[in-house]
Amino acid sequence: MASTRIREATERDCGDILRMIRELAEYEKLSHQVKISEEVSLCRPPPPRPNLTPISTALRADGFGENPSFHCLVAEVIPAPGELQGPRVVGLGLYYFIYSTWKGRNIYLEDIYVMPQYRGQGIGTKIIKKVAEVALCKGCSQFRLAVLDWNKKAMDLYKSLGAQDLTELEGWHSFRFEEAAMRELAGW
Amino acid sequence: MASTRIREATERDCGDILRMIRELAEYEKLSHQVKISEEALRADGFGENPSFHCLVAEVIPAPGELQGPRVVGLGLYYFIYSTWKGRNIYLEDIYVMPQYRGQGIGTKIIKKVAEVALCKGCSQFRLAVLDWNKKAMDLYKSLGAQDLTELEGWHSFRFEEAAMRELAGW
Repeated sequence: MASTRIREATERDCGDILRMIRELAEYEKLSHQVKISEEVSLCRPPPPRPNLTPISTALRADGFGENPSFHCLVAEVIPAPGELQGPRVVGLGLYYFIYSTWKGRNIYLEDIYVMPQYRGQGIGTKIIKKVAEVALCKGCSQFRLAVLDWNKKAMDLYKSLGAQDLTELEGWHSFRFEEAAMRELAGW
Repeated sequence: MASTRIREATERDCGDILRMIRELAEYEKLSHQVKISEEALRADGFGENPSFHCLVAEVIPAPGELQGPRVVGLGLYYFIYSTWKGRNIYLEDIYVMPQYRGQGIGTKIIKKVAEVALCKGCSQFRLAVLDWNKKAMDLYKSLGAQDLTELEGWHSFRFEEAAMRELAGW
C-alpha cells in the first residue's frame, strides 16, 4: 500500500513547487496575482537608481541558493511495492522565519497545499505537524498562517489542531502596500 | 526649531526600542503577550544574522535647546516571501509616542519603509492593524495600502506553543 512522508524539498522539486503554488492560487481565486517564475529572471528594468537589488521572482534562487528566503516541506506519496508509478509530490508547506517583538523568532507558514485528489487522507495535518516540529526545534514559540474566510474546511482543520483565528478573536486586519503605492511614497 | 529624521537603529537604541514595543502593546491592549527581553532583542536584531531590522524616528533639538536628540518612534521590519511576487517586507511594528503624533512622523516612517523595500527589490510590503484602530487604518489607506481582510477575506491564524507541542508529539 502507498504511504505518504513529509520531507524537506530539494532543488529538483522546484517544478512541482511552482505548479502547486499556481494550483493553490487558482483554488484561492487569486491566480492573477502569481508573477513568480521558476528560473532566475529580471521581471522589469531596474529602477532609476544605482546599486539596487534587481527585482527578481526566481523560486529556485530564492529557495535553494546561499541565503534562502524560504524553506519548503513537500508531501510525497511513496508507491507500494509493485506499483509502476514512482514517488510523487502531492503537497507542500512553504515557510520562513519571522519575528514577533513580543515572543521572538517565529515561523510563518506562507503556503500549505494538498492536491485535490489526495485530500481527506490527513496529509494536510501531517504537514502542519511537521511545521510545528520544525518550529519547536528552531526555538520558535508560535507559528502563524493566513486563511481565506470562505475556506471553512481549512479554518476548521487548523482550529481542530489548536490554532486561533486572531482576526476573529482580536480583530487583526492584514494590510498591503503594492509597488505603485510604494513608488509614490518613496518619491520615485 | 526641532526637526525629525528617520534613521537605522543601532544597538544603543535597544532600550528605547523595547520601551516602545511595550508602549505599543499597551496601546493595542495586548501587553500581557510581551515576553521579550532587551538582551534577546539585542542579540536578535544586532547580532551576526539579524532576525529583524529597525528604523527609529529621532527628534533633533533646535539650536539652543537643552534636551538632546530623542527617539520617539519606530518601524521594525523583516523580510518575508510571497510565493506570488518574491521577496517582500513585513512591517511588524510601527509606533509613534502619543505626544509626538499628528506631526506626520508615522507617514515619514512608512515612506522610509517603502524606500527600503524598493531598494531591496521588494514589490510589496505588508503589515497588520487592529480593526478598532480607525486612525491607523485610515492613514495607511490614505497612503495607498489595501485592507486585504476586507477586500479578499484573509484571516490571521496562530498556533501557540502548547498546541505545537501537542502536534509534534512532544
